Amino acid sequence: MSSKQLNMVQAINSTLDMLMKEDDSIILLGEDIGKDGGVFRVTEGLQAKYGAERVMDTPLVELGIVGMAIGMALAGLKPVPEIQFQDFIFTAFDQIVNQAAKMRYRSGGEYNVPMVLRTPYGGGIRGGLYHSQSGEAYFAHTAGLTVLSPSNPYDAKGLLISAMKSKDPVIFLEPKKLYRSIKSDVPDEKYSIPLGKAALVHEGNGMTFVTYGSMVPTVVNTVVKHSIDADVIDLRTIMPYDGETILNSVKKTGKLIIVHEAPRTLGMGAEISAFISERAVDYLQAPILRVCGPDIPFPYKLEEYYMPNEERILKAINRVQEFR
Amino acid sequence: MDEKELFVKAYKAMALSRALDRKIVMAQRQGRVGFYTPTIGQEALQIGLSMALEKEDVVYQYYRDVPFMLHRGVPPAAIIDQIMGNSSDVEKGRQMPSHYSSKQHNFMSIQSPVATNLPPATGAAYAIKYRKKNNIVVTTFGDGSSSTPDFHAAMNLAAVYELPVVFLCENNKWAISLPIEKQTKVEIWKKADAYGMKGVKVDGNDLFSMYEIAKIEIERVRKEKKPVLIEAVSYRIGPHSTSDDPNKYRTAEITDGSEKDPMTIAEKKMIEHNYLTAEEIEKIKSDAKENIEKIFDEREKLPAPGTDTLFTDVYEKSNWIIDEEKEEIL
Repeated sequence: MSSKQLNMVQAINSTLDMLMKEDDSIILLGEDIGKDGGVFRVTEGLQAKYGAERVMDTPLVELGIVGMAIGMALAGLKPVPEIQFQDFIFTAFDQIVNQAAKMRYRSGGEYNVPMVLRTPYGGGIRGGLYHSQSGEAYFAHTAGLTVLSPSNPYDAKGLLISAMKSKDPVIFLEPKKLYRSIKSDVPDEKYSIPLGKAALVHEGNGMTFVTYGSMVPTVVNTVVKHSIDADVIDLRTIMPYDGETILNSVKKTGKLIIVHEAPRTLGMGAEISAFISERAVDYLQAPILRVCGPDIPFPYKLEEYYMPNEERILKAINRVQEFR
Repeated sequence: MDEKELFVKAYKAMALSRALDRKIVMAQRQGRVGFYTPTIGQEALQIGLSMALEKEDVVYQYYRDVPFMLHRGVPPAAIIDQIMGNSSDVEKGRQMPSHYSSKQHNFMSIQSPVATNLPPATGAAYAIKYRKKNNIVVTTFGDGSSSTPDFHAAMNLAAVYELPVVFLCENNKWAISLPIEKQTKVEIWKKADAYGMKGVKVDGNDLFSMYEIAKIEIERVRKEKKPVLIEAVSYRIGPHSTSDDPNKYRTAEITDGSEKDPMTIAEKKMIEHNYLTAEEIEKIKSDAKENIEKIFDEREKLPAPGTDTLFTDVYEKSNWIIDEEKEEIL
């Protein structure tokens, strides 16, 4: 079985290429994704290969990109709209929340919207307020959407393949900080990672970390560097998240720390914390802690202070370890 | 179908629609229906356009298009089922009244936020063009929708990609309480020019002129694969919805719109063209009324959908979260 060392940009690009080759119903649409290959080059070379009809450089209108993709999906195509930065998605929010997400339910199952909306999210590239946001909770809060975020090139490919098989709208959040910063061995052939299944990326007994997307390497590196005896769960699917894996781990360790870049209040950490409180309060040996972005807009110059880092994770580790 | 048959069919749909409209409004006043958006006054423009369409054409309609749906063959029973939200409703009673869906007749599912059906209509048209098919897409909306970003986005995209879309603006001159003069400073059909597409204005109260323009424009859209904006000027004879009281804001108006009632105009012309006699018209109207009464009584007896439908169709396959919540509630 052959494979290649790829970064996340290359993994997504080659996966789209592979899928487009075998299925002419796949249409990519977005701003600057064709000739320019996308501002992060994720769609580089695809327009040259598949033509401007299938890799569309759209006018600058996010609600139009998503709205158009919804109509394509309803007409039997498999659109993959790209929103250049997740921060720009909000004019399309109505289309996502009130059209795509509710179509199957409101039509009694007559209509559905198989669409994979790709968008880079999160900080770490010094993008300031409008090129750094982590809006996963907005989408996770909407019934009808599936929300994914890969944390490495291997998962990016496997999750994208699963997303493309889905008959419902998927929000595919690409952690832009990890686009080129890590490589992994990516098999050439097609494989899929099931939706709704987390990965246990580090095993231990002392505590449980739940994280996803860009924070996975930060958490794993901290745990490894300081020889922390911990389970690290990479959600991969944010919604519907893998409650069973989290629950089993917390029952084993009795301690839970959730790490994400998005603001703390009402983020995924709040949900997972409530989930564990409802089901495993008897197992808990320490308070559930969250290490998250603060509830302020994402800053430009001082972004290091915004992103959860080794130091803040260690602080949380110490607190749960020392709790009596 | 010759011209006479075409117009007789159209007039029958108008009469059926008017009878249904009256019945639903009445039933709402009697507490038998929860809510409804009357269609009275907009029959001619919808049916005039529908007359020029093919079966395969796709409609991204809005919530006031019952005449359109009836003319294209959606049975009145299906409309009433949706309004009652009963066990026969295709939507399983999930949407409030006036939000229909009929895949069988190529009508999309309707949402409440206005004009959000327009951008998806362009995507559906893109798919048609991409697959080199010959059908077209029609999308309908009221005058208030012309102020939305979705209108702008869809008009621009349809023009840029040269898509076979008919944008039908049903200008009934009122967006709930806001009159058209306060909605926009430009006639709606003229906005087409700014996007590089053709715009036309037509008397939407006249079935005959509506059909004439619709036929020409639809043929052109089909042939040239380019969009058009048709502004059909009408008049909202009724309130916005059964929850609305126009006496609060329509105080200065001297008319209830009945002198421009599309039914009256159509009837006069049907007689002039020798398509129908006055007696035949009366018969069609009384038959429609009787028919609707019968269907309504029958559909009203149907039970609500089973609670087993509450948690389905959120996704193709359910997930543990929904299953757990279902378990707790049911």
